Amino acid sequence: MAFAAMSTAFIALFLFGLALIIAREINLVIEAVTGNVQVAVYLSDPVKTDTVTRIQSELQQLPAVASVEYENKDEACARAKQLFESNPAITENVPCDVYPASFRVTLADTAQYAQITAALSCEPDPTTHDITCTEPGVLKVLDFRDILDRLSAITRVLRNGVLFIAVIMLVSATVLVANTLRMGMFARRKEIGIMRLVGATNWRIRVPFLIEGLVEALVGAALAIITLFLVKVFVVDQLRGRIVWLPLIRNGDVLAITPWILIAAAGVAIVAGTIGIRRFLDV
Amino acid sequence: MISLQNVTKTYKNGVTALEAVSIEIEKGEFVFVVGPSGSGKSTTLRLLLREEEPSTGEVFVAGKNVVRLSSLGGIPKLRRNIGCVFQDFKLLQDKTVFENVSFALEVIGKPKHVIDTRVPEILDYVGLGEKLNNYPDELSGGEQQRVSIARACVNRPLVLLADEPTGNLDPNTSVDIMRLLDKVNKIGTTVVMATHDQAIVDAMRKRVIELDKGKVVRDQSRGVYS
Repeated sequence: MAFAAMSTAFIALFLFGLALIIAREINLVIEAVTGNVQVAVYLSDPVKTDTVTRIQSELQQLPAVASVEYENKDEACARAKQLFESNPAITENVPCDVYPASFRVTLADTAQYAQITAALSCEPDPTTHDITCTEPGVLKVLDFRDILDRLSAITRVLRNGVLFIAVIMLVSATVLVANTLRMGMFARRKEIGIMRLVGATNWRIRVPFLIEGLVEALVGAALAIITLFLVKVFVVDQLRGRIVWLPLIRNGDVLAITPWILIAAAGVAIVAGTIGIRRFLDV
Repeated sequence: MISLQNVTKTYKNGVTALEAVSIEIEKGEFVFVVGPSGSGKSTTLRLLLREEEPSTGEVFVAGKNVVRLSSLGGIPKLRRNIGCVFQDFKLLQDKTVFENVSFALEVIGKPKHVIDTRVPEILDYVGLGEKLNNYPDELSGGEQQRVSIARACVNRPLVLLADEPTGNLDPNTSVDIMRLLDKVNKIGTTVVMATHDQAIVDAMRKRVIELDKGKVVRDQSRGVYS
């Protein structure tokens, strides 16, 4: 019974961690594809300082624009290097010079995107669907809203699906741990009866069972964390480098979700303890 | 020491176990509670232990109104002042004689040096000084009841409640157990004993409270069974 409780806690916490990792992975992809901006305005080389200030103030005046951030060529290169860290083929062979400087624009109202293209007098190219601009110094404008919307829709479905299963498993784990505690108390009901008769306090009677529940949940959590690291090593790391454009989670990402797994485990133990020993609460 | 004031106890299923019962027991008394099955003897003991609450009326033990005690601290504290002995001994089979008695002190947080002095002392007192390391199933019924009395008395309670303590014992052993309870009473412990055992009640010549259908029908000092 204790084994059933532990293994259910393990599966539940593993799925919970998996959901969190999927969410992190998709965030990485979004970051890689869009740099987390909704619209990018690329500048043509060579970049002149007065062009930068002029276009920046022009963009900032637009009511649809929430913020404008300038990224020069060096910064663009550094970001690309970080992004493709695991693909030396890209970072070594692509010279820094090819990365264009850009304005990374966040929109206050995404529906008013046309204001930007209008201000920079841009027009979509009918053949490539790239948006080219006649404004001097502007290379092109890239609209990431559509990609962002689709990606976040996929994220949501994937993450919510796994989270949903994880929640069901967490509930089962809680019920099983509670049941184990209850059976343990039933097996020791004579001892508990005597403890009560001689004046042991409620807490004195309950604490060993609460600790047992906590241990079961934490063993499940430890197994889940170990398994997540194994998945990272044996699944994620095998993909590394095969899909060039795809950034992958690292050990740090797995490490970052372990506190949440431990918190979920503690939650399971607390709820299971509360419902598992309730029947034995009355003195 | 013990006071029931106009106590009525009606269980949830509608059975009235006690009806307007008033009993006063002084410190150091030895009292038999007698009566047929279902007369309310066990309910009376359960009320004193605060395992049940009276439907109406008040119950005082050692100056405390037991109804007002909290389950967090008050009730455990009350029970530390009351020793309990039962017909079926209620010993833990997987623990030795010593462990059964020390268990009662451990779970109320007594330090080890207290346990190590008091447990052999009380086992010696009940005549089991030689059997510390035996298990309950290696003992006779009378010896097991002595262990149970040792466990009830090891924390030096003010009151000892005994529910049919001789119910499972043969007459000779019963007499030994009664001698032991008398000895416990002589050192100042108030003893309340519910029993069916006519021979014992008649022999002891102590105060007798007779219950019938939840009412006190007789309360006699130096009484006999009927």
